[in-house]
Amino acid sequence: MSEGRARPLVAYTLRRLLGAVALLFVLSVVVFSLIYWAPGDIARNLLGNRQVTPESLAAVRRQYHLDQPFVVQYAGWLRAALHGDFGRSIRTGEPVGGLIRDRIGVTAAICGLAFVLSVVGGVAAGIACAVRRGSWLDRILVSGSVLGVSAPAFAVGLLLLYVFAVWLGWFPFYGTGDGLLDGLWHLALPALTLAIGLAAFVVKLTRAAVARELDADYVVFARSRGLGRGAVLRIVLRNAAVPIVTSLGLLLAYLFGGTVLVEVTFALPGAGALMQDAVEFKDFPVVQALTLAVGLIVTLSAVVVDVVYLLVDPRLRGRVSHR
Amino acid sequence: MSALLSVTGLSVLGPRGRLVEPVDLALDPGETVAIVGESGSGKSMTAKALTGLLPSGVRAAGTMLLGGRELDLAAGETGWRGIRGGGIALLLQDPFTSLSPVHRCGDQIGWGLTGSRRTRSARVATLLAEVGLPERVAGQYPFELSGGMRQRVALAAALAADPQVLIADEPTTALDVTTQKDVLDLIAGLQRSRDMGLILITHDLGVARSRADRILVMYAGRLVEQGSAAAVLDTPGHPYSARLLGCEPPLDRQLTRLASIAGSVPQPYDVGAACAFAPRCMLAVDACVAAAPPLVAIGPGHAAACVRTGEVLDDPVGPTVDGPRPEPVESPETGEVIGATGAVPLLRVADLTRRFHGTETPALDGVSLEVAQGESVAVVGESGSGKTTLARCVVGLEHPDSGSIELAGGADGRAQRVQIVFQDPYSALNPGLTIGTTLRETLRAAGRPAELVEGLLELVGLPAAYARRRPKALSGGERQRVAIARALAVEPDLLVLDESVSALDVSVQAQVLNLLRDLQQRLDLTLLFITHDLAVARQVSQRVYVMRAGRVVEHGPTDAVLARPQQDYTQRLLASVPSAHRTED
Amino acid sequence: MSMLTRARTPRTPDTSGTPRTVAARRPPLTVIAAMVVLALVVIAALLHPLVMDWALTQNVALGPVGTGVEGHVFGTDQLGRDVLALSLAGARSALGGPILVALGSMLIGVVLGGTAGYRGGSLDFLAGRYTDLLLALPATLLAIVVAGVLGGGYWVTAVVLIVLFSPSDVRLVRAAVMEQRPLPYIEAARVSGISGPRVLFRHIAPNVLPIVVANALLNVAFALVAFSSLSYLGLGVPPGTPDWGRQLADGRDLLGSNPMVTIVPGLLIIATATAVNLVGDWLEGRLNSEAVER
Repeated sequence: MSEGRARPLVAYTLRRLLGAVALLFVLSVVVFSLIYWAPGDIARNLLGNRQVTPESLAAVRRQYHLDQPFVVQYAGWLRAALHGDFGRSIRTGEPVGGLIRDRIGVTAAICGLAFVLSVVGGVAAGIACAVRRGSWLDRILVSGSVLGVSAPAFAVGLLLLYVFAVWLGWFPFYGTGDGLLDGLWHLALPALTLAIGLAAFVVKLTRAAVARELDADYVVFARSRGLGRGAVLRIVLRNAAVPIVTSLGLLLAYLFGGTVLVEVTFALPGAGALMQDAVEFKDFPVVQALTLAVGLIVTLSAVVVDVVYLLVDPRLRGRVSHR
Repeated sequence: MSALLSVTGLSVLGPRGRLVEPVDLALDPGETVAIVGESGSGKSMTAKALTGLLPSGVRAAGTMLLGGRELDLAAGETGWRGIRGGGIALLLQDPFTSLSPVHRCGDQIGWGLTGSRRTRSARVATLLAEVGLPERVAGQYPFELSGGMRQRVALAAALAADPQVLIADEPTTALDVTTQKDVLDLIAGLQRSRDMGLILITHDLGVARSRADRILVMYAGRLVEQGSAAAVLDTPGHPYSARLLGCEPPLDRQLTRLASIAGSVPQPYDVGAACAFAPRCMLAVDACVAAAPPLVAIGPGHAAACVRTGEVLDDPVGPTVDGPRPEPVESPETGEVIGATGAVPLLRVADLTRRFHGTETPALDGVSLEVAQGESVAVVGESGSGKTTLARCVVGLEHPDSGSIELAGGADGRAQRVQIVFQDPYSALNPGLTIGTTLRETLRAAGRPAELVEGLLELVGLPAAYARRRPKALSGGERQRVAIARALAVEPDLLVLDESVSALDVSVQAQVLNLLRDLQQRLDLTLLFITHDLAVARQVSQRVYVMRAGRVVEHGPTDAVLARPQQDYTQRLLASVPSAHRTED
Repeated sequence: MSMLTRARTPRTPDTSGTPRTVAARRPPLTVIAAMVVLALVVIAALLHPLVMDWALTQNVALGPVGTGVEGHVFGTDQLGRDVLALSLAGARSALGGPILVALGSMLIGVVLGGTAGYRGGSLDFLAGRYTDLLLALPATLLAIVVAGVLGGGYWVTAVVLIVLFSPSDVRLVRAAVMEQRPLPYIEAARVSGISGPRVLFRHIAPNVLPIVVANALLNVAFALVAFSSLSYLGLGVPPGTPDWGRQLADGRDLLGSNPMVTIVPGLLIIATATAVNLVGDWLEGRLNSEAVER
C-alpha cells in the first residue's frame, strides 16, 4: 500500500483505539461499582470470611477509601489498576496479579487449542458445505452445526467426560498432566468440548459467507471465461474472507464464556474456574481484575479485526480514505 | 461460409416445466445475431444454456457444433472445458456485480492467462488498450471505476482467451444512453477486428436494429420469428413482432395513442400445444390454439411461427394497432402560455441546490423549473443528473439546501397536493397489505371515504376484485396501476412520475403511458415526468427540461428541443438513442 | 457452544435444491421431529404440578443408585430423588425462564429498535451506543459476574439475561425498520400524509414482525442454554429446585455411581435447544423465502 493510502488507515486505527479506550472506561466504571451492587454492607462484603470487628471494618473502609466520594474511590482504584495492582484476594489474601498469573496458562492452552481446532475444522467444513450445497455431506454438517450451536458446553463436557473418561477410560478424569504430551492428553477433552460449539458456529458462518459469494454474478462470469473449479474457488474465498475474518474475532468473546463452564466441568485450575470461585465467594478484587482483563483482550481484538477487515476489503479502504 | 456455431434443438427445462422450447441457431464468423424478447421470453436462459451456466435446478438439452467440435448441451462441467473462454465467452448485464469487488482489474483480466508474470501483464495492457482503457486501470479496483469503464474491463476479461463467439446478455441495459452507445460501438469494432461471432441478447428493438445482422424474436420460451434485421423489423412475419414494434415509442413524433398489447406474457410452461401469443393476438383463429405453429419460411432466411403469416405480411403494422393507425400530431405550444399570458404556474422551483454529504459534486446546482396547471412536463437526464433528487425535493422527501419550491395556492399541505409514483413496480406496494388496505389507508389520510376504493381501481383499469389481492398476485404493470391509483386517492394537483414506466416491458409500458394520458385529460392533472428515456419524454410531455450534473442545460417545448437541440449535450444524448423504427432519410 | 452466541450467528440460507414453493410449504422431517420433541417438553412443563411432589420426594438413605432400582427407571441422585421425576419437573424452568427472556428482549427490541430505526436522531445514537457497549463485551462472562454479584436467583438471572439479549433484538428491529423506511411503498405512504406512528405500526410493522417473532423463537433456544449454564454454576435457580442445569451440576460427582443423573437432563437440554433452533431456523427461512417471492 502506498504512503498516501496508509495515512487514512492509521487515522482509522487511532479512531478505533480511541473508541476502545472509551469502552474500557465505561467497563471499568461498571466493574468498580460491582461492590455497590452486591446485597449487604460493602465493608462487610469486602472483609469476606475474615473476622468482622470494628477495627477490621475501619481498616477496610480506609483501604478502599469508602468514606470518600465515589469519584475519588474510583480514581484511586483506577490508578492502582493501571499499574497492575488490583489489591489482594479477599479469600486467600494473595495479590490478585499473582493469582491470575498462576492460573492463566491452563486457560490459554485450552482456548488456544479450541480456537485452532474450531477454525481449521469449521472453515474447511463450511467451505465443503457451501460448495456441495444440498448434498448429504452438507445436510449432515448443517444439522450437526445446529446441534453444536444448541448444546451448552457443560452438557457436552459432562457427556464426553462420562463416555471417554468414566466408561471407556481413554482420557483422564481430571488434572492437567505433566509435560507436553501428557498435558495435551489431559486437555484434549476440555479443548474438544469448547471447540465443538465454536466449530459449529464457524461452519454456519463460513457456509453462509461462501454460499452467498458462490451465487454472485462474478462467479458465473469467471466460469464463463473457462476458469477451473480451483481458480473460481480461490476468487470466492478471497471475497468470503471478509465476513469470516470479522467473525473469527468475535469467537474470542465466546471462548472466555465457554472456558468458565469447561474448566468447572473438568475441574481444571484455570482462570475460568478462578472466576467461578471468585464470583461464588464475592471475591471482588479477583472478579474485577479478571473482568477487566477479558474486556481488554476482547476490545483490542475487535480493533485488530476491524483493521484486518480494512486490509482485506479494498472497498472499505476506499470509503475510509474518502472521509 | 460454413457456420462458426450451430445449435440444434436447444431447450431448457426448469423445475416447473419447459422454459425454452427447442430452438435452432446458427452463427457465422463476424456475424451478429440478436435474440430479442421481453421478460420471461427465455432469451437469457438460452444465453446461459450456450455456456452451460444455467442456475441449479435448470437443465438444457440439445447439441452444439462449434468450430468442428460437437457438444451435448446437457453435458456436465467437464464437457464445457475448452469451450468456455476460448470458444464462447459471456458478457453479463450488470458490470457492478460481474467483477469481483476485492480483486484489482488487471488481476481479473489476467485470470486464466498463461506465461510469465511479465507476458501476462503485457497481455493485460494490450487487452485494456483494445477496450479503450488506460493501463493504470489494471491497478484499480472495480469500485473505483464508472459503470461504463467496468463493462469495458469485463469485456477485456471476456476477450482474454480470444473467444470465437461472444454472447452479450443485455450488455448495456444497466448503462446510461451515451455510455451505451460507446460500449456497443466498442463491441462492434472488436467483433470486426477479431472476426468474432456475436450473439446479442436484448429487449431493446432499437439496439437490435442498429447492431444485428439477423434477429431472433422470442416469446414465452418460443422462437416466433427469425430473419435478417431489416426483414424482421420492416416486414414482420409474426403478429407479436409487429405489435411489439408498434409499442416502441418513436423519438421523432408524438402519437395521440401508443399501440399496446393487452394482457401479459404467460409462463412458458403454462402454454401447452398452442401458439403462446394466441390469447393476446387479434388475428387468432381456431388453428392457433389447436397446435403449436411451426416455423414457416416466408422469405429468404426469414421464417415465422404463425399460421397466418401471409396476412400479417400484407399489412405489417395495420391490424396490430388498436383502432386507426396513429397519426403524428402537433403538440400544443404550451411553452408560450406561461411566458406570454403571465399565468401563475402551479409549481415554481427556483434556484434549488442540494449537496449530499461526502460527495464532490452537488446533486442539484441551482435548478429552476416551472409547471403550469394542466401541463405535462418532462425532466430528462442520465444517472447522476440530479433529476431524481429534484423529484424527491418537489414531493418533500428531500430537503434542498437552498432555493424555493412554491405551489400555487399556498405552501401549506404540499405533501398531499403533490404525489409521486416510483420506478420499481416490485417495491411500489406494501407486500404486507392488500391492495384495498393500501388504498384505504391513503384515502383515510386524505379524509376521504373508504368506499372510493372500487372507483380508484376502475379509474386505473383494474377490476374491483383486486382490492382483496396482495401485491404478490399482481404483474408489474398492474402494480404500477395500483401505485397510480394510490397517488390519485388524495386528489393531488401535481403528479410526479419518477421513471414510473422504465422498469416495465415495452408492451406494458405503452399501456401505462396511455393510461396516464387518459387520466390527465379526465382529471385535469398536472404531470411532472422524470425519465432517462427521450422517446418516453417525447410521447408524454409538452415541455422538457434536460438536466446534467445537477443543472438544467436546456429547456423548451419538447418538439423544439428534441427536433432542434441547441446544446451539445442534448445533441449527443439524442444521437445515442438507437431507434427501432426505420429512419427516414 | 457457550451461552450467548445468538447475537451474530448467521442464518443458513435455504439448503434445499428443490423448488422453493414446494419445499417451503411442508416442513422437512427434522423439523417435524423437533416439533414433536418440543410438544413433549411443553406437556411435561404443563404437568409440573402433578410431578412436583414425586420429584421432591427425598430418600437420603437410599442415596444415589443406578438404573433398574424398583420404581426408579433412571435411578436416583445423591438425595435419593428420582431422576426421571426431577427431569420432568425441570421442564418448566427450562421453558419458562427462556420464554420470559425472549419476550422481554423482544419487547425492548421492538420499542427501542423500532423507534430508533424510524425516528433516527439522538435516540438512535443512544440506542446505537447501548448496543455497541453490550455487544462489545463477552456476554457470558458479564452474565456470570452480574448474576453472581447480585446474588443469583431466578428473577435476577432473567432480568440480567433480558438486558444482555436485548442489544441483538434492538439491532435486528432497527435494521429491519431502517431497511423498510426508504422503500417506495413506505415513502409513498409518507407522501400521502399518513402520520409517522401509523406508518410505523400499520405499514412497517407487518413486514418486520415475522422476522422478529422468528428471532424470538431462536432467542428461546439461546436463553435456555444461558439459563441452564448459570444454574449449572449455581447462579440461576435456587438450590433444591428441579432444573436440568442444577441436575448436571450434581451429576458431575455422581458419574461413577449413577451416570443417568447427568445423561438424562444433559440430553434433554441439548435436544430441547436443538429442537427450538431447528424450528426457529425453519420458520425464519420460510418467512425469508416468502419475502423473496413477493
